[in-house]
Amino acid sequence: MNKARIFFIVLAVVLGLTLGISPAMAQKGKPIKIGFMGNLSAPFSLSAQAAAKLAVEEMNASGGILGRPVELISEDTKGEIPKGIEVYKKLVMHNRVDAVVVAEKVEMGVAGAQIGAELFREFPHIMFCTIGGTDDIWHLVRDNYDRYKFAFHTYYFVATHYLQILGGQILPDFHKNYIGSKKIALLYEDMAWTQPIRRGIPGVSPSLKDIYKSKGFDVVYEATISLDQKVFSTLFDDITKSGADAIDGVMGYIDQASFIKQWAQSSARDIPWFFWGGIAGMPMAWKMTDGMIAGGSIGSSFVKVPITEKTIPFMDNMIEKYKVGPIFGSHTTYDTLFGYRKALQQAGDTKDIEKVIHELENVKETAVLGTIGWDAKNHHNLPYPAYVTPIVQWQDGKMVPIYPKNIATGKFMSPAKLRK
Amino acid sequence: MVAVIENILIYTVIWGSIYLLISIGFSLICGVLRIFHLGYGITFVLAAYGLWFFLSDMNLGLIPSIILMLLLQIFIAVVVFYKGVFQRYLDEEENLLVVSILLFLAASHFVNWLYPVTAGVNLPTTLFQGVATIGVVNVSYQMIAAAIVGIVVTALFIFMFMKTRIGLIIRAMSQDLNAARLMGASVNNMYYLAMILAVIPPSLCVIMIAPFWSIDPHMGQPLLITALLIAILGGLGNLKGNIIASYLIAFVHFSTSFLLAPRFMSFAALFVTLVFLIVKRGGIVEGETIW
Repeated sequence: MNKARIFFIVLAVVLGLTLGISPAMAQKGKPIKIGFMGNLSAPFSLSAQAAAKLAVEEMNASGGILGRPVELISEDTKGEIPKGIEVYKKLVMHNRVDAVVVAEKVEMGVAGAQIGAELFREFPHIMFCTIGGTDDIWHLVRDNYDRYKFAFHTYYFVATHYLQILGGQILPDFHKNYIGSKKIALLYEDMAWTQPIRRGIPGVSPSLKDIYKSKGFDVVYEATISLDQKVFSTLFDDITKSGADAIDGVMGYIDQASFIKQWAQSSARDIPWFFWGGIAGMPMAWKMTDGMIAGGSIGSSFVKVPITEKTIPFMDNMIEKYKVGPIFGSHTTYDTLFGYRKALQQAGDTKDIEKVIHELENVKETAVLGTIGWDAKNHHNLPYPAYVTPIVQWQDGKMVPIYPKNIATGKFMSPAKLRK
Repeated sequence: MVAVIENILIYTVIWGSIYLLISIGFSLICGVLRIFHLGYGITFVLAAYGLWFFLSDMNLGLIPSIILMLLLQIFIAVVVFYKGVFQRYLDEEENLLVVSILLFLAASHFVNWLYPVTAGVNLPTTLFQGVATIGVVNVSYQMIAAAIVGIVVTALFIFMFMKTRIGLIIRAMSQDLNAARLMGASVNNMYYLAMILAVIPPSLCVIMIAPFWSIDPHMGQPLLITALLIAILGGLGNLKGNIIASYLIAFVHFSTSFLLAPRFMSFAALFVTLVFLIVKRGGIVEGETIW
């Protein structure tokens, strides 16, 4: 091989490496930095972190944002507010991130909003809170837009939407037209997030009980369950005696396995129940309860139903690449980051933060659970029907989507029939 | 009102008997070894997850798995707790308490690492399915079966203490350890025996209640608290007091549940115990003896 030939081969290799044509390598300029903070000992934060990594990986593979690479910086708050504040400051002041994702209890999001508001003038950035069902974040924006305009909240249902949409539209429709019930037994878990649902929100919505009444239901039983409660048999006896023909459980954190096992062996075992969330909506619930969960209905984003073309690939990739189940907080984190990407693309740059905020207030992007976008005034994400959490029923070992109709693959069946 | 009273009484009998299974092992250790065994909660966790390990990971049948789980329980009770902790720290009560509870908590966390909730652990130990109707009360057959096991196990313990030579020695030791030793009682062997006997009721308890109770790595904590509450109310280490306290706590629980609200059950039991101890400091049956 002569020297000239060797020279051209070496030159070709060098040029090939430096001018490679893969999208990731085509990215130029300063990376767009996204800070992620969560309690990295908690399953929901770990799942959200995997979702954030997946989103960033996919973005970089398709050319980044505005031709710039995306960098994810993860920090562990250990679930402690003081540590969270320290982490938030580090991400914004030291790492100079363009956006911070807070993926744990909503109290951490509120703390982030407060410290973020102090830093915003000197270090303009966006804050996304992707876990938490209370109204705190968007109430801050509503009550003092100028101070908190950088804060956005994404969740399946915040309390107001729980009352107005889930309680006000979906559940009455579900109970009346799917289950055929008229008499409701209402159960709440003893936690802060159920308080607005129990009492209503003045000027916004009456309580869930009053909503049911206004829709023509009889609320024949109402009780609050403590988180340490293990014995539910007596509760079921009372529910049976009340004449209820459906149980609506505003609960996600109680000991659902004991609840379900005792329901299946009680006089109330033929009364269908609905839970908003919890382990009953996770795939292992059938095994955990030895199949006693048959007939129970639950809001679950675990079910593999193609709400959009992104739903199934997201679920598969989460498990395949990160070995993490797509539990609550993961869909919202992933969808939020793609909503942010679209807003940045529409803004054309990250420098003008006012423009970025404006685009976030108007963006609409296809998401895992429907469409992601945020209310222009209040900065909570666009609720159902834009963002969908399917209602599933456990039938023969599987979670079968039964609501809403456009994604349903089965019909509601009575627990007695399923038990046969 | 008659229906409410009927409910309270039937649930008191059933759950009082289940509480016996939960607490009698703890009282036995208190009565014989004079040790407040804060690591006792580990027996519930080991019963559930040991059984699951042999059943699911080793693919053994239910009966061999139960036998192996009991052997594992005995090994942990005798080697880890008795020889490793109790003998070493017998004269340092604070250390003994701290090490015992640390071992229990560490074991719970280790089990949580091995079998997180997402592993879907469940024990297939349902003996009877369905619901029985007693008067106006509906109770699952499995709960009734668990209660019967509680009564039978307690009866066997009483029989052993009252009618056998071993029971006589244990009672003698609980009355006056030095006198029993001088009379030739093999104290160390009796301690071993007490540790072994103490794991049987909680193990049976987990097997019987699994069909209506959640299995999770931290299940030992609420069960340990129930055992503590009953043992303290009964008069530490006295089985007579333990039996009365089990039914009394059950009565308080279900009176509260039916007359007030189920979520106040735990609070009511704590409150009644507190008031009782203020009035009668030593518990229901005061004294240093096991019976």
